[in-house]
Amino acid sequence: MFIQRIFASVLLVVCAGLAIMAWPYQAAFSYEPVGPRAFPLLMLALMALGLIYMIFRPSPVVHSEEDPQLDRQTLTKIGLCVLLLLVFAGTFEPLGFILSSALVGIPMARLYGGRWLPGILIISLMSVGLYLLFDKAMDVPLPLGLLDVLEN
Amino acid sequence: MDTFGYLGQGFGVALTPYNLITALCGTLIGTVVGLLPGLGPINGVALLIPIAFALGLPPESALILLAAVYLGCEYGGRISSILLNIPGEASTVMTTLDGYPMARKGLAGVALSLSAWSSFIGAFIATCGMVLFAPLLAKWAIAFGPAEYFVLMVFAIVCLGGMAGDRPLKTFIAALIGLFLSTVGIDANSGVYRFTGDNIHLTDGIQFVVLVLGLFSISEILLLLEKTHRGQEAVKATGRMMFNFKEASAVFVVNIRCGLLGFIMGVLPGAGATLASAVAYMTEKRLAGTSGKFGEGDMRGLAAPETAIGASACGALVPMLTLGVPGSGTTAVMIGALSLYNITPGPLLFQQQPDIVWGLIASLFIANIMLVILNIPMIRIFTRILSVPNWALVPVIAIITAIGVYAVHATTFDLFLMIGIGIFGYILRKLDFPLSPVLLGFILGGLMEQNLRRALSISNGALEILWASPITLGVWVLTAIMLLMPVLRIWRKRSAKRRALANA
Repeated sequence: MFIQRIFASVLLVVCAGLAIMAWPYQAAFSYEPVGPRAFPLLMLALMALGLIYMIFRPSPVVHSEEDPQLDRQTLTKIGLCVLLLLVFAGTFEPLGFILSSALVGIPMARLYGGRWLPGILIISLMSVGLYLLFDKAMDVPLPLGLLDVLEN
Repeated sequence: MDTFGYLGQGFGVALTPYNLITALCGTLIGTVVGLLPGLGPINGVALLIPIAFALGLPPESALILLAAVYLGCEYGGRISSILLNIPGEASTVMTTLDGYPMARKGLAGVALSLSAWSSFIGAFIATCGMVLFAPLLAKWAIAFGPAEYFVLMVFAIVCLGGMAGDRPLKTFIAALIGLFLSTVGIDANSGVYRFTGDNIHLTDGIQFVVLVLGLFSISEILLLLEKTHRGQEAVKATGRMMFNFKEASAVFVVNIRCGLLGFIMGVLPGAGATLASAVAYMTEKRLAGTSGKFGEGDMRGLAAPETAIGASACGALVPMLTLGVPGSGTTAVMIGALSLYNITPGPLLFQQQPDIVWGLIASLFIANIMLVILNIPMIRIFTRILSVPNWALVPVIAIITAIGVYAVHATTFDLFLMIGIGIFGYILRKLDFPLSPVLLGFILGGLMEQNLRRALSISNGALEILWASPITLGVWVLTAIMLLMPVLRIWRKRSAKRRALANA
């Protein structure tokens, strides 16, 4: 309940910020009665109404048994996972697809409870295999990055 | 008679060897994707959009591929519900109720093939319904002007909340988030940059694939982290694989009934497979009375939700094709795919590109037959896929998701954006917000704004145009009813509780 109130308040502040951002949106030359800011403002206003209702009357979150309460350990794991994903996005082009996916995939496999050796083996094979599958067989261009020298 | 001519033409398109192979690949990929934990039809279809585009598939083949993946995913979700008692997604919860007990009794193979058969009948009924009604609806929908469209989309959004039942407010907020996100980027009418923060990567708006994969794949990856150990062993599918004639005829009436029900539920926006399967199961349980062994492995309890899911999955394509208004998360994704090909679904599609529409409808028939046939030889392989551990699976999902996003624009900005959206989606999920309304809102947002502005341009700014015609008035009335539904339901629940207290 408490978290929901916080979430709704934060989103409400974001709504207000976006509304301020949207206020000056006006077409220099307009041929139509409704300008570019009406629709986003309408959506933000409706969302704000809903959020205000939620702040005062939050509905309880139903927890299924499969869905355990978040503890510190899981939160750390989620933080690590997000960090890994960010590293992946950051190194995708400079290191190239194969290296970056191996670099991120192996610790990720570890994070999900895999052991080092099979993890390294499978993820390395996978990253090379996926590169060949997508770049060579399916024409989805992927960056080679550092491995650029290997080509031609 | 015209319709059947077109349908024949559609089969001509779908039965070309190239499209047949496409449909076969689609059903295979779809089944595998549906099997894997955490990947459902939405991710499956979304991942394949950029790939189908990169492969240079012609639009009708791409659409056939996506439809085959869609049906395949629904089928794959069934395998994990029956063998593992883990529903892959909300709609297959009802399947586990009788499917898993059947598998425990040693009838796993029969349960799987019977469910495929039921779903086939459901899809067949729905496809027939589509053949009959879609052209009529399309003909009628040509009379729709921008005002009618706008009101119709309001109805679709409200329907989501009204049907979702237990959390209308959250559904509503989620849809509004999606509607708002659709306004990011350059405004096509005036050239004003909206909410881009001077970032050139955002001028085009948020890419559809980025939003879908962020919301569904990344948030699912994070969710899977919480459930690292799942100690459930799959029931071995041994013995007889195929149901026999007696079993099929025993559930035939159930199939017909639930097929019709599922089709109607599928056509209504917002209802979808989850509600259809639940209603079908409950209805059949009540009809069977004391003679049924529902919950202990009754075949009717398996056939009912499966038929309804199959029928509603196809029924959901009706509003998408005829009106251009998606009724479910997956069809919203398919609209996104079509717009990549510069095809706007809607009434005109039936006249301008009958090849695409009827080819798609015909390929639905074919994909359904393929799924029934595939079941027999492939089930052992599919069950082996179920035992892939999470630690090998999740990194591969993450990597393939990144490829899918990168394939759209080849910028790493999209990757970062996807992660951001994924974290947001994860938070929404933890707070019990449904995610598919965000998606529907995002797809409908652009259309809604355009139609609103066009309507008000026609009337020169007078709001009366939004309720001037009989069609708009009718839709407004329906919208009002939908808005009142959750209120009514809460009120009824409360009075029932009060009565129970008074009796006690």
